[in-house]
Amino acid sequence: MNAQLGPIPSGTTAPGAPTPLGRPSAGPDGLVWRRVHPVTPLVKGWKAIAVMAAVIAQQAGDNLARGLDLVRGSGVLVLLGGLLAVVLLVTGLSWLSWRMTRYAIDAQAVHLRQGVIFRQQRQARLDRLQAVDIVQPIVARIFGLAELKLEVAGGADSAIKLAFLKESEANGLRNELLARAAGVVTAERGVDAPVPAPPPERHIVSVPLSRLIGSIVLTPSMLVVVIVAIAVPAGMIIAGDPGAIVLLPATLFSVVGVLWKEFNQGFNFQAAIAPDGIRLRHGLTEARSQTLPPGRIQAVRLRRRLLWRWADWWRVDVNVAGYGQKQGATETVLLPVGTRDEALLALWLVLPDLGVPDARAFLDAALNGSGSGSAAGFTTCPRRSRWLSPLAWRVQGVALTDRAAILRRGRFSRVVEFVPFERTQSVGISQGPVARGFGVATLTLHSTHGAIRPVVDHLAAADVADLANQVVNRSRAARATAAPEQWLSRVRAAGLPVAGPVGAAGGGS
Amino acid sequence: MTSPGGAPGPFDPQGVVWQPVSTRLIRARLVSALPFVLVPAVLLALAAAASGVTGLWFVVAALALLTMWIVWVIPRQVHAYGYAERNDDLLIRRGVMFRSLVVVPYGRMQFVDVKAGPVDRWCDIAAVKLHTASVHTDAHIAGLAPAEAARLRDRLASRGEAQLAGL
Repeated sequence: MNAQLGPIPSGTTAPGAPTPLGRPSAGPDGLVWRRVHPVTPLVKGWKAIAVMAAVIAQQAGDNLARGLDLVRGSGVLVLLGGLLAVVLLVTGLSWLSWRMTRYAIDAQAVHLRQGVIFRQQRQARLDRLQAVDIVQPIVARIFGLAELKLEVAGGADSAIKLAFLKESEANGLRNELLARAAGVVTAERGVDAPVPAPPPERHIVSVPLSRLIGSIVLTPSMLVVVIVAIAVPAGMIIAGDPGAIVLLPATLFSVVGVLWKEFNQGFNFQAAIAPDGIRLRHGLTEARSQTLPPGRIQAVRLRRRLLWRWADWWRVDVNVAGYGQKQGATETVLLPVGTRDEALLALWLVLPDLGVPDARAFLDAALNGSGSGSAAGFTTCPRRSRWLSPLAWRVQGVALTDRAAILRRGRFSRVVEFVPFERTQSVGISQGPVARGFGVATLTLHSTHGAIRPVVDHLAAADVADLANQVVNRSRAARATAAPEQWLSRVRAAGLPVAGPVGAAGGGS
Repeated sequence: MTSPGGAPGPFDPQGVVWQPVSTRLIRARLVSALPFVLVPAVLLALAAAASGVTGLWFVVAALALLTMWIVWVIPRQVHAYGYAERNDDLLIRRGVMFRSLVVVPYGRMQFVDVKAGPVDRWCDIAAVKLHTASVHTDAHIAGLAPAEAARLRDRLASRGEAQLAGL
């Protein structure tokens, strides 16, 4: 154990003279181990204390009378003593875990050591970095702290979480990591090479509060809320039994919870583009700032919900390898709700080149059109499929451009999925007995784990065979010319920090 | 090997020579599946004989029909199972009623599993499973001779390395 392991606040950490950059010199293993912010145990422990308080409050609520008796008697001292003991225990454990949590960064990787009893050392290669998030739960915001979350494509729970850092520190670290991952700061230049100033970012789109609320009002869940809120009291009056009122909060609770989550997470949504990736900022109670480096997005989905049809609002989701699929995941939302132009702009950020001559016409066909409309080149279901999908058979289809496969579904609501050929993992076709009777089959493109599962049913069997074959061939060609992992070397080679929107977004409607 | 139906369809891409899996897979699958039907059938038959409740015999008859169906369908499923190694990708085809075909490029492969359970080992077969970055890729070949499984594993690994692509 050397002196480095003492409780030193981060930022001014280790022994040895700080370099002009304020960076301490390296330890024996060549790495500079740093600690997270010393307030961390408090911020983390607060959650446990809150949970405990909630449990106690619930218990007290359950038998209030007994609780009051307890407070009147000498029990109050026992209660407070127990509470204090638990608080101390939780704080002590948090402090221990803080002491054991250290991180270091070198030219190739981020290292994290943590754990008191079960020690863990994790190392993430920077060239495998899929996304960098700065997350600020509400308590952390009060302290001006933030969690830095580095996503790598290692399945569930593979992220490296540095919690908590000072907000400015987290921002600086994010810029540094992205610069290193992008190849701006190369290994040859060494660990202490100066990191260039954070690249300027350009604001692309934001979601006004009114539209966010509107979009939430116009969802099927909201309809459920309204129907339940009307039907239950009505039913009570008719049945003359007021007892049913207890069902109301329970029924509404889950639905409202979902809607609240959507509101909370979509609040103040801002998207911007910087050379190191797409920046997304959002959140009411928990502020989140995400950076998705270019080329890390595996698939994009534009979705118009049933009731958004008249407003022509769209939601844009993406698949990113590191994020995986959690229930109600927010990380994968590129735009919670936007006009068509905004949605297409968001799409353009991810897929600047669709590989079609007239992007606007093509996208209009994808977003609005039906049938196998001439220019767009969608292969749609044959007429016999109308027995299997009576509403959507004219709509559901696949178009293959030079760069991506575009899948279209939905007669009234609409889903359009874009899978770049260099990102398709594998291709599947399948057919059940009924489908065989109709001579149709299902085409599936396998993307990484996420909200988007590109699949189109009820296409003519011969078309499916042909499409699958083409996807396989075009994916092979795309893989052969795929861009390097260090993406900025490519951007700089092209000499463009940020290009302007092309036809997709600039065309006007 | 052509499709069980005989007619070329989407599951028979042109110029693909399908490798069948070992017919020992039939035995392995029957051994794994039949006890779940036969044991309840026998017990129910005994119960029916002892209690004299006629209704139970219908259940026994249904289970007997199910057994016959299993005995009929498993060999067909195994014969429908096939894989093909092309230059850039591996094709796996399976299913009789619910048919599927998956094309996995070697460059997309993250790792390969070779597995053999107790019944598999008794029947001298093993299963190879390819994993890509997508959890939806269902690239699973059951019923390979262990030597063939090992050969396929090594071949897939070397081809994957040669054609390695990012995510």
